[in-house]
Amino acid sequence: KKMASKIRVVLRPVKSIVVRFCPFESNVESTRKFLGCINHKKIQATNRNCEVTADVRHDGSEPLVDVMFADGDRLIMKGANLTTIEMLTALGSRCNAKELKEEQKSKKKSP
Amino acid sequence: ALSASRCALATVPLSAGWLPALQLVRRGSKAVTRHWKAMHFQRQKLMAVTEYLAPRPAIPPRCLAPRKEASEEDNGYARLLRRQVEEVFQDNRMIAVCQYNSMPDEDVVLMRRYLRKHNIEVKFVLNEIVRPVLSQSKYKNLLPLFVARNILLVSPETKAKEMLRVLKRVPQVNLLAACIDDTILSKQGVENFAKLPPLEAAQGQTVGALALLPSQTSSLLQCGSAHLTALLDQHIRQLQAGETGSPAEPTPAQGLGAH
Repeated sequence: KKMASKIRVVLRPVKSIVVRFCPFESNVESTRKFLGCINHKKIQATNRNCEVTADVRHDGSEPLVDVMFADGDRLIMKGANLTTIEMLTALGSRCNAKELKEEQKSKKKSP
Repeated sequence: ALSASRCALATVPLSAGWLPALQLVRRGSKAVTRHWKAMHFQRQKLMAVTEYLAPRPAIPPRCLAPRKEASEEDNGYARLLRRQVEEVFQDNRMIAVCQYNSMPDEDVVLMRRYLRKHNIEVKFVLNEIVRPVLSQSKYKNLLPLFVARNILLVSPETKAKEMLRVLKRVPQVNLLAACIDDTILSKQGVENFAKLPPLEAAQGQTVGALALLPSQTSSLLQCGSAHLTALLDQHIRQLQAGETGSPAEPTPAQGLGAH
């Protein structure tokens, strides 16, 4: 069993993250914890340019995590029925995949 | 002495083809050795007989109903923290609940300093302590807020504008809701509250709005007689001017007739 704060995500391919939730709802726990984990020193240190915004509303909408990648991709995670670890691993796997693609591209360009 | 007696046994006169079954040599190991030494057989038997047998309960414990450990959480520290939270809720007019994402320590200190200038105190709270306090007080609707790490910004005054300004500079603290004068406001509500004019200006505005209608009524009522007085004044002035110069004009009388 992994602790959510131990999962390391490399945020280099990420441009911005918007976390939207309504704190008076009851299904926002995992989203709030996700926000807390993302704001950790080490994860923020991987990419200083990534802007993490928290959008606090009161309209009963469900919790949402909107990730914009540097190459134009968009990842939307609806956190109502997801756990923190699931969200972090999903984001982490996509970031790693993009990193690999970037490395391959740069390797092809360099020789 | 023992080894000497064993040697004596060996030197007993023997017949030609009989060798002793046991040839105890003087060079034997002592009682206390560095290697494991085999116990004497009698000692082995004694040890086997006197082995420890654990007492087994008549009914194995898994057949019995599980005993619920009554969690005695009432250690004094928790009680003290709960009392502090209760006092906080009673003493202060404005209590803002914010989500705290990890911040570098210097930023925390700076933020505390800026808020202190406006008499706002920053309190770090533990959810497991705040939740029972809230559920028994009248602030039950604040219960779903206390999930994940939170801090409370408390103040006896309601300086929402300054608080929002300081929080805007700190991106890692997100305002969730606030309880101002026993009224629960969401973040939007706090922003609207901050935009309100101060109390005296609001009172002046209300008084002005209330006084508007009666003043309109009075001016309407006075309109006719005021007009009459103005016309009469004009007439008098013209008559006076006419005495010194040209004769009076009949227009003021016609104007009065038209009314």
